[in-house]
Amino acid sequence: MIKGSISPKMNNKMNKSLRRDISHIAIILGIFVLMILFFFILKPNYLSYDNIMTILLATCVNGLLALGVSFVIFTGGIDISVGCVMTFSSVMSGIALTKWGFSLPLTIVFGFLVGAFCGAVNGFGVTKMFLPPFIATMAMQMITKGLSLVVSGIKPVYFTSAPGYQNIATGNFLGIQGFYNAIIILIVIAVIAYIIFSKTLIGRFALAIGSNEEATRLSGVKVDNWKIAIYSLCGLFAGFGGLIMSSRLNSAQPQLGAGYELEAIAAAVIGGNSLNGGEGSIVGTIIGALIISSLTNGLRIMSVSTELQSAIVGVVLALAVYFDKMRRKNA
Amino acid sequence: MKKRLLVFALVISVMALAIGCQPASKDTQDDKPYIAMIALGYGHQFWQAVRQGAEEAAKDYNVRITFEGPEEETMVDKQVDMLKTALANNPAAVALAAIDVESVTGILKDAKAKGIRIVGFDSGTGEEAEAHCSTDNLQAAALAAENAARILNGKGKIGIVGHSQTVIDAVQRVDGFVEKIEKEYPDIEIVDIQYGDGDHLKSAEVTKGMLQAHPDIDLIYTSNEGACVGAYNGLKEAGKIKEVLLVGFDSSAAMKEGVRSGEIVGAITQDPVGMGYKTVEAAVKLLNGEKVDSFIDTGCYWYDASNMDEDHIKPLLYD
Amino acid sequence: MGNKVIEMKGINKSFPGVKALDDVYFDLNAGEVHALVGENGAGKSTLMKILTGIYSMDSGSIMINNNKVNIDTVRDAQKLGIVMIHQELNLMNHLTVAENIFIGREKKRMRIFLDSREQNEKSSEIFAKLNLDINPNIRVGDLTVAKQQMVEIAKALSYDSKILIMDEPTASLTDSEIEDLFRVVKTLRDEGRSIIYISHRLEELKIISDRITVMRDGRYINTVNTQEADIDDVIRMMVGREIFAVKQEPFTKENAPVALKVENLNAGRMVQNVSFYVRQGEILGFAGLVGAGRTEVARAIFAGENYESGDVYIYGKKVKIKNPSDAVKAGIAYLSEDRRRFGLALGMNVDENISMANMKEFSTLSFINFTKSLKNSQKQKEALDIKTPSLKQKVKFLSGGNQQKLVLAKWLSRDSNIIIFDEPTRGIDVGAKSEIYKLLNDLAEQGKAIIVISSELPEIIRICNRVLVMCEGRITGELMGEEIDQNKIMQYAIKRNISNGRLTS
Repeated sequence: MIKGSISPKMNNKMNKSLRRDISHIAIILGIFVLMILFFFILKPNYLSYDNIMTILLATCVNGLLALGVSFVIFTGGIDISVGCVMTFSSVMSGIALTKWGFSLPLTIVFGFLVGAFCGAVNGFGVTKMFLPPFIATMAMQMITKGLSLVVSGIKPVYFTSAPGYQNIATGNFLGIQGFYNAIIILIVIAVIAYIIFSKTLIGRFALAIGSNEEATRLSGVKVDNWKIAIYSLCGLFAGFGGLIMSSRLNSAQPQLGAGYELEAIAAAVIGGNSLNGGEGSIVGTIIGALIISSLTNGLRIMSVSTELQSAIVGVVLALAVYFDKMRRKNA
Repeated sequence: MKKRLLVFALVISVMALAIGCQPASKDTQDDKPYIAMIALGYGHQFWQAVRQGAEEAAKDYNVRITFEGPEEETMVDKQVDMLKTALANNPAAVALAAIDVESVTGILKDAKAKGIRIVGFDSGTGEEAEAHCSTDNLQAAALAAENAARILNGKGKIGIVGHSQTVIDAVQRVDGFVEKIEKEYPDIEIVDIQYGDGDHLKSAEVTKGMLQAHPDIDLIYTSNEGACVGAYNGLKEAGKIKEVLLVGFDSSAAMKEGVRSGEIVGAITQDPVGMGYKTVEAAVKLLNGEKVDSFIDTGCYWYDASNMDEDHIKPLLYD
Repeated sequence: MGNKVIEMKGINKSFPGVKALDDVYFDLNAGEVHALVGENGAGKSTLMKILTGIYSMDSGSIMINNNKVNIDTVRDAQKLGIVMIHQELNLMNHLTVAENIFIGREKKRMRIFLDSREQNEKSSEIFAKLNLDINPNIRVGDLTVAKQQMVEIAKALSYDSKILIMDEPTASLTDSEIEDLFRVVKTLRDEGRSIIYISHRLEELKIISDRITVMRDGRYINTVNTQEADIDDVIRMMVGREIFAVKQEPFTKENAPVALKVENLNAGRMVQNVSFYVRQGEILGFAGLVGAGRTEVARAIFAGENYESGDVYIYGKKVKIKNPSDAVKAGIAYLSEDRRRFGLALGMNVDENISMANMKEFSTLSFINFTKSLKNSQKQKEALDIKTPSLKQKVKFLSGGNQQKLVLAKWLSRDSNIIIFDEPTRGIDVGAKSEIYKLLNDLAEQGKAIIVISSELPEIIRICNRVLVMCEGRITGELMGEEIDQNKIMQYAIKRNISNGRLTS
């Protein structure tokens, strides 16, 4: 109607919402930078080339898990199986390589498929069996934890028969000294995750489901199928994590894995993703994962005792979410 | 609905079948004395080696054993449940490596009153045990310290990557090392002690952080397999292998390979197979009314590239 | 009788943009059942919420037992002995009957220990007085709705309330349960308590009430003695003949193809043997009272909810619809009455919402074609005149009318041929309403088949070519052209299935 008269007010509104999105990344970036400066001042070799690479490498496994779990979190769900699914996929690829004689590339792809399959089962449980996501993925956590021990015979599975397996993660990228391949893998996969999130239907429907599942369903979207796809994607990312993990250790350690899911969820949450779903960002998740690894690294360099480290990470987690809530309230 | 019920029934019956097909060793040998063994953990190879030794002894002495343990070495409550369940099955003897001695003392007292014999192994069971079979961890750590000092020629800086601050033997492995160095090697300085939960990846990060904080470290001592392999990978990733020496504890395929190549200068091995064997042996002797020593040292050895293939060491190194 | 326990005079209440109550009068005698009737939105519940302290009035006076009182909080009302039994019962399903009755005032022994025995005994006493057989020790969740209602009544009596307000108490009860309820209500009345009885079921009033007060459009119309009243007169007072309503033209394109035909649809209790059709270019209205089963019909067609039997034909072709995705493929669109819950992803932006139902069109190999989607959203925005600063604006910042247009834009992007509007103007201000009406007409002219579900009779009369009236899950009447008027619709809307003999008691 009277377009001229309302537009100034609306422009104001738009700026506000635009500012909201920028400040969301800005706040966690701010926390990140402040933290780095803090450690840098106290311990200048914190920002040495080697240590930066160490921090980035330490981000890889958690970062990959966090990326996957972020998609599930966007839908308002949760996946607590990622840590054990990661282990299971690495154990299975180890078995495929050593016992079944798979070639190395096939082994790697097989590991990814195992991860994705576990994710698909999670999705099936959530959609077709109506299990709450927490329960469905907790069941998967227990199942994969047990199966990892069973198929490996409670022994690490070594990848020594495939020379070069360890180089997948810790070899030097393009021969640059100290620049691990795993870092490049993380960057590439993070970019892919970003594209999936912002440019494809998976990302769009993940947010739509998280924002209003019923409205999405009533729009004719096959919500169940998309959810299965999203949980599978999360499992696939756990498979990526399994590759990096087993490559770094040159072995699949069947008893590891529990606890990794909480760190991944923490990264996603520090990155500003609401556990209620419907909003969030992949960039936030990556920064969240970086915050966790650079914080623990910094504390270690300062020789802070292990028990205190855990407490400090907890405080940072609480503060990050608190700031995010405040920002939302003020906006 | 019917279809769903059918699927449900199918799943249940497949599971029942799977369980039913497990070797039914438990039920067929009821006449043999039954010894319940409950370890500190289960998944780790160390415990599997203990189990192997225990099973050998069970065969030799014609007794029936069960071997179990919680999946994490911190799950006190789970271990207590396991102990209670085991006692409900009326064992002749119980062998236990307690996570937390206090939480099982009462239960063990009751069991003892019922005539069940108690043997401790590894971390032990406190005062209720009639015999205790374990590595003397303080001694073992001192052995590691001696060798580390020898390699450093009595001078240098050492960092320690531990695996737990709560489990008693883990603490002893660090304390014994520190004590020995402080007492006898004044020119060696221990610059940092950090913990990586025995998680390979975490221990690698811990090691790298330590190197960043103290670039002048000469040697790293690690208190178990997870810590050692973690530190090993950390050193590799940092490109400091052989520049910073590594002393480990326990063994695994990865560690053996590292020791053989000299990238790990050496490590302490316990004798888990012997520990398992001696534990069952002690229990059997108690049941037969024989006298046993209250402490049975199951021994420990220093191994490096030069001696690892010798006959007295080789069987103690497991994959 | 004759002794007034409540007298409300000159009550006024406004909500932003709406005058909810306009100089309303209401009185209540000791020992009577006083029925309060009126259409949806007549102001009955607002008035009762003022009486029970949930809302505060703008002006007016309330006298209780001839004393002027202020009722500012629910607590005040309770102290004055006024208790309302809501349609949605406020009970804790996991607690026992007695625990519910005494919630917040638990009987205690030595100040700390709960004394459940005393609570149970007190509860039993109350039930005995009402001649009811309810075990106070049973979990409320295990009781039928009717018994739960009795628990609510017992709770009110445990406060020794003199005035009970019952909102649609029979809405979900069976015949024998209704008999029980009426017996209890009469017992209470004979004890000298007063009951305000809100109901849509006018035929019940003859049985249970002593007087009837009619409200319409936030105003007091009249109070009559039930004995002397004629139900038709009451209906006339409720709908108000004198209200002038613009009327839709009758549908003239009699040979336009039938877009949607439904035959003998059964879906749960609320959809029984429903058959109807709608032609291309026609606007078909579904009228009836709240809870008549109209939304259920729409959801059974669109989402296959509770589907039991029946056939759906789209342009003569039989289709099977099991989920919304099937319906959307068949060209049906559904705009829910609760668009915030079922229509929009409020946290997402305008473009994302408009394109939601048609992402296949706006993507290649799962990659979103932003240019295409934004272009369409821009087009829809202009066509429907959606007021938003940008297509990236989050939907939750838009007004109700614009949100409704947005949901419509979503379906128009999909080019749906059959559009079901469930309460299209709920929560929308008057100006935006006429815009929506115009849109509906335009869509019909473009050849869409349109179904409008509405509880507002003037709205139905204004926009529909043909009207189906539902009551309790059945279609009770069909009106066309000249026949469409509020009285006729109302008569059909309360035409319950007489065969089960409810009226004979």
